[in-house]
Amino acid sequence: MDSVVLLQRQLVDYTAQLFNEGFLDDQFNQLQQLQDESNPDFVVEVVTLFFEDSERLLNELAKALEQQSIDYRKIDAHVHQLKGQQLQKVCIAFRNYCEERNIEGCQKCLQQVKNEYSLVKTKLETLFKLEQQVLAAGGSIPWPM
Amino acid sequence: MLGMWKTNAPDEFVSVKFDMEMREGSSPSDGASSTPNSSGRRRNSAEAKEGLGFIMCKRLVQMMQGNIWISLNPLASAQSMTLVLRFQNRPSYGRATFAPGSSSEQPSSNPQFRGLRVILADDDALNRAVTKKLLEKLGCEVTAVSSGFECLSALNSAENSVRLVVLDIQMPEMDGFEVATRIRKVRSRSWPLIIAVTASAEDNVWERCLQMGMNGMIRKPVLLQGMADELQRVLQRAGEGL
Repeated sequence: MDSVVLLQRQLVDYTAQLFNEGFLDDQFNQLQQLQDESNPDFVVEVVTLFFEDSERLLNELAKALEQQSIDYRKIDAHVHQLKGQQLQKVCIAFRNYCEERNIEGCQKCLQQVKNEYSLVKTKLETLFKLEQQVLAAGGSIPWPM
Repeated sequence: MLGMWKTNAPDEFVSVKFDMEMREGSSPSDGASSTPNSSGRRRNSAEAKEGLGFIMCKRLVQMMQGNIWISLNPLASAQSMTLVLRFQNRPSYGRATFAPGSSSEQPSSNPQFRGLRVILADDDALNRAVTKKLLEKLGCEVTAVSSGFECLSALNSAENSVRLVVLDIQMPEMDGFEVATRIRKVRSRSWPLIIAVTASAEDNVWERCLQMGMNGMIRKPVLLQGMADELQRVLQRAGEGL
């Protein structure tokens, strides 16, 4: 039993850390609230969708910036679709560079965005792995917190 | 003991009756006593036993279309008290299933939303999935589409059964304002109801929404309580004929 409690403690602590660092917010709480018997994997599904969506967006962005004649309007539209509280500043800068038609600025922003997403992905994967460990040890997930 | 019955009147009301047994030493009100008093009409004896507290209760209950009285046993001491409450029958929108695991804090038990038919239009797959689930959690029956065009055609084929359209404003090709304008061209202002979803923090978005014939607005990120509150507000206003 002790190992379950330990794992649960780890999970709770890690989640709190992610909230503090701004990787998770109220919306994550809400996703947990929406999870129920009819949709037991809702959170994982949504997060997976989020990463697939983001990866597609980032690829589109990279491709758009490689074009001979860059369509800044399209790039701006893609940036508009990016999600994440932490990305707000970068996105604002990104859109400004679009307006200025500053390709280097855009590329710099794109790299920042890529790094950020990569980080978020790693953190969330860790979170879900911890969750799996708790469940495998016979414990229950202490959501919502 | 608890009983429930329907009166002969047309299905307007349902009554719930509470029968409370009086034990030795307990009294239904401040001034009730159990001194035997075999003379006098039964009704008067009961009234004589009613103290101020009980009278107040009785008045309140009667104001609420119910009734409350004390029944006497043959010895004319209080035997039981009966409380009848009357409730008006409300039209039901459909059945709801409550997930046994859901927390009691959730705003998901509002009967108004049960079976409410909604069309959700949002081009973003993620937002669409989350908002759809959110609305379903509140009890709605949701059809999710990914563009303004699909929204309009879904509305047309559903005729009048859709009560509410939840519309993302910032959609490519046809934005939410355009969709609302087209809907209002052929439909009244309150059927279907339209709630806009916007990421914009500008003040005049609400005015624009109103001008386009929308009934409500909610800002992203969409949260359960926010949606529930706005849904309630919009339905209430529609019910008031505004």
